[in-house]
Amino acid sequence: MARKELVEALRKIVGKTNVLDSLVDMQLYQYDAYLEERRPDAVVFVHSTEEVSGVVKVCNEHGAPFVPRGGGTNLSGGTIPARGGVVLEMIRMNKLLEVDKASLRARVQPGMFNLELGTALAPHGYQYMPDPASQKAATMGGNVAENSGGPHCFKYGVTTNHVMGMTVVLPDGEIAEIGGKAPDTPGYDLCGIFVGSEGTFGICTEVVVRIVRLSEGVKTMLAIYDSIERGSEAVSAIVAAGMVPATLEMMDQLVIQAVEQSIHCGLPLDCATVLIIEVDGLKDDLEEQCKAIADICTTHGAREVRVAKDDAERAMLWAGRRGAFGAVARLAPSYLVCDGTVPRTALPQVLRKVAEVGKKYDLKIPNVFHAGDGNLHPLILFDWRDKEQKIRVMKAGTEILELCVQLGGTISGEHGVGLEKMDAMKLCFSDADIRSQVALKRAVDPKDLANPGKMFPVTAEVACAV
Amino acid sequence: MPYDVTALRSRLEAIVGPDHVAAGTEANSPLAVDGVVPALSVRPGTQDEVSKVVAACSAAGAAMIPRGGGTAMGIGNRPSRADAVILLDRLDRVVEFDPANLCITVEAGVRLGALQEKIASDGEVLPIDPPDDEKVTMGGLVAANQSGPSRLLYGTARDFVLGMRVVLPDGERVHCGGRTIKNVSGYDMNKLFIKSFGTLGIVTEVTVKLLPAPVMRAGVVGLFPTLSQATAAVTRTLESFLLPEALDLLDPAAMDLLAPRLELGAPGGAHGVAVALAGSRSTVERQARDFETLFRAEGARVVPLPEARTVSAWSSIRNVFGLLPPAPSRVVCKISVPIDKGGAMLGAAGADGKALGLQTAVFAHAGSGVVWAAFVLGGRPSEETVTGLQRSLEALRQRAAAAGGSLVLCEAPPALKARMDAWGAPPPGLSVMKRIKSEYDPRALCSPGRYLGGM
Repeated sequence: MARKELVEALRKIVGKTNVLDSLVDMQLYQYDAYLEERRPDAVVFVHSTEEVSGVVKVCNEHGAPFVPRGGGTNLSGGTIPARGGVVLEMIRMNKLLEVDKASLRARVQPGMFNLELGTALAPHGYQYMPDPASQKAATMGGNVAENSGGPHCFKYGVTTNHVMGMTVVLPDGEIAEIGGKAPDTPGYDLCGIFVGSEGTFGICTEVVVRIVRLSEGVKTMLAIYDSIERGSEAVSAIVAAGMVPATLEMMDQLVIQAVEQSIHCGLPLDCATVLIIEVDGLKDDLEEQCKAIADICTTHGAREVRVAKDDAERAMLWAGRRGAFGAVARLAPSYLVCDGTVPRTALPQVLRKVAEVGKKYDLKIPNVFHAGDGNLHPLILFDWRDKEQKIRVMKAGTEILELCVQLGGTISGEHGVGLEKMDAMKLCFSDADIRSQVALKRAVDPKDLANPGKMFPVTAEVACAV
Repeated sequence: MPYDVTALRSRLEAIVGPDHVAAGTEANSPLAVDGVVPALSVRPGTQDEVSKVVAACSAAGAAMIPRGGGTAMGIGNRPSRADAVILLDRLDRVVEFDPANLCITVEAGVRLGALQEKIASDGEVLPIDPPDDEKVTMGGLVAANQSGPSRLLYGTARDFVLGMRVVLPDGERVHCGGRTIKNVSGYDMNKLFIKSFGTLGIVTEVTVKLLPAPVMRAGVVGLFPTLSQATAAVTRTLESFLLPEALDLLDPAAMDLLAPRLELGAPGGAHGVAVALAGSRSTVERQARDFETLFRAEGARVVPLPEARTVSAWSSIRNVFGLLPPAPSRVVCKISVPIDKGGAMLGAAGADGKALGLQTAVFAHAGSGVVWAAFVLGGRPSEETVTGLQRSLEALRQRAAAAGGSLVLCEAPPALKARMDAWGAPPPGLSVMKRIKSEYDPRALCSPGRYLGGM
């Protein structure tokens, strides 16, 4: 009964056809790229800030939780409606509203795909730096909610360093423009706390981002190693030499093999690991930088270093890297992506230990990761139909996160806490630390309606809801 | 709220020792905040002592104001209360320097200059360059989100903080973030405390990421007959592939102050555009050539800053207001606008100063949308002068707000602050900010009244 009234009220805001409530539709919105599922009560297609505000107000009146959803690529369960309620489908708010070259800003709607923004800016001679590997299907709103990273974040920073302002619908339906084209807005950095808040502070309906000139030159190279440890040592050596490449990415043998099967980008199948290194900036010293990096790689045991000859070769290397998660799906019906992060110099050690965890639990764990950032992505392969195996996977995943924390790192570099790592928060934060974060949630969302049941360690109540 | 000063004093002495608690009652105490003299000042020596001091003040109901190097104490409104000033200069330890991971953790009282010296030995740098960097403490840098010319290429303090420890208003110690360069574990609590100016607690430790120091530095200054030529050069720079570290626009008064230090000859009323270049020898040399050409094409006389003089030249530029008479006889404001509006704001601020007959200097981080203006009021400004300046500032503020920006008073005598809010009209989202403030500091004991919206 309550659900019927909720749906009716939502239809008054967005029209009948923009609210879905059939069982089949709800099943389509009960999952994302993580492993849990929970059905919403209704799905609403929104088209404007005002509609989002209207929907959120209705949710307030009905005490219904609400969760915004972009591309649904989230790897930690961020878009799963843990306590039911309303999913706001943001995908139709997908316009590039403004490219303001003179003030180096662009204004976009949250449903626009990250790659679409890049493609739209390029003809103007500009780019938006954060580039999550899922950029084809990940939306800007999702990037904001998760503070997304990506290969180029090694040099250029993550989403929060590039979001200068946004229009948000607060959890009570109030519309606020926070930050903007001008820097250093007086007051608390609301923009800074919204980025990465995983939809728990409200819904972003417009984003003002920093855009930068396309680089004058780019060079991409591939270093091939017979030992994964030597490869990861090279990463630290490159940084220690004072170089700041745009990217420092690694893939191990299992990933390379999967990538080659699906994308055929010419990676050697018999090596232990490859590093994809890109340098960009003024063209004058790129050759010089490439040579210096190649020398370091060779000194650290690379059997070969190839520099992409042209844009086509570059694109091929990146297609391989960006397609890695997809390609690994060929190896097993399911995988759990760990997102642990360590100080860069701990990479060789953590990789060794990840391999030990794989042996211990009898699981295959290919690795693809942002080596420059120390951000691992071990992909623990399994079959979701095998319940016993899934339990082992979860244990192995937790053990890897524990390792990362022990080595001075943290439980998530870019995928978020969501449902997946609520309990793991205790690994890196004290009770007092967590209380101080919950206090922020209480201040912004006193009724706990914005994507509730996420982020913080599970209480019995939350466990039931999931 | 009444509280017992004597009882609090002996409580604080028990925590930090009697040598580190003082009465702050001298009329011209440098610890006065906008003329409000605190009853006590206390200098905790460890983070744990900060926690205990804050807990004691909180238990007593005493209002606390943290202070690092004091360089940002002029920012904000007159405090509604100031019972205890908590001095953080004894927290001056380096907790951990991890050069291989380009990261350092220091206590809040460590001076930015001292930190730079420490990391320079390993060829690293924290590319944040506010004025007075030898005085600025890391806690203050973060609490005020300070920045300088090189924010153009690198950003501000908020872009470099990986983690911090904070003492909350009830004395509880928490840590935020971590020491990896990517971290989305929980909320980005660093951002809550950065730029909160001590209103939500006291930052006691900061972890920042570092960069490898550039192999070479150089600079170029262009002297442009008109402001429009200078802004044209700025625009052309931003449209180009060139990647200067800093791009500052200086008005003729600022150029007059700098001319001897930068060996510019007679600037002759010119506007200046100065670029800082850093990187490999080949990119720096190429950019120096390109900038000379670019500036000349816009009608400038060009003065190159050779490698040996670049660092000191940029120190002079960012400290240009240091060449003016000191506070409290001057007013300094920061105007933040979209990048393309910076030139016009600079022109307007300079013209206002001239119309009022005040010595004035204005410069802008022209690629970032930040304009700094200083107006010298002289020993005893007349009522008429203060009113005139207030009107001009309100007009500039309106103009900035119309462009989506702001004007913040960063230094001003109490007479002016009494008439004009330091922050301007509160931005959207004030209701959320107020809820945040009352969640963390329900009794409003942390720097009360100094922040915007009466917080």
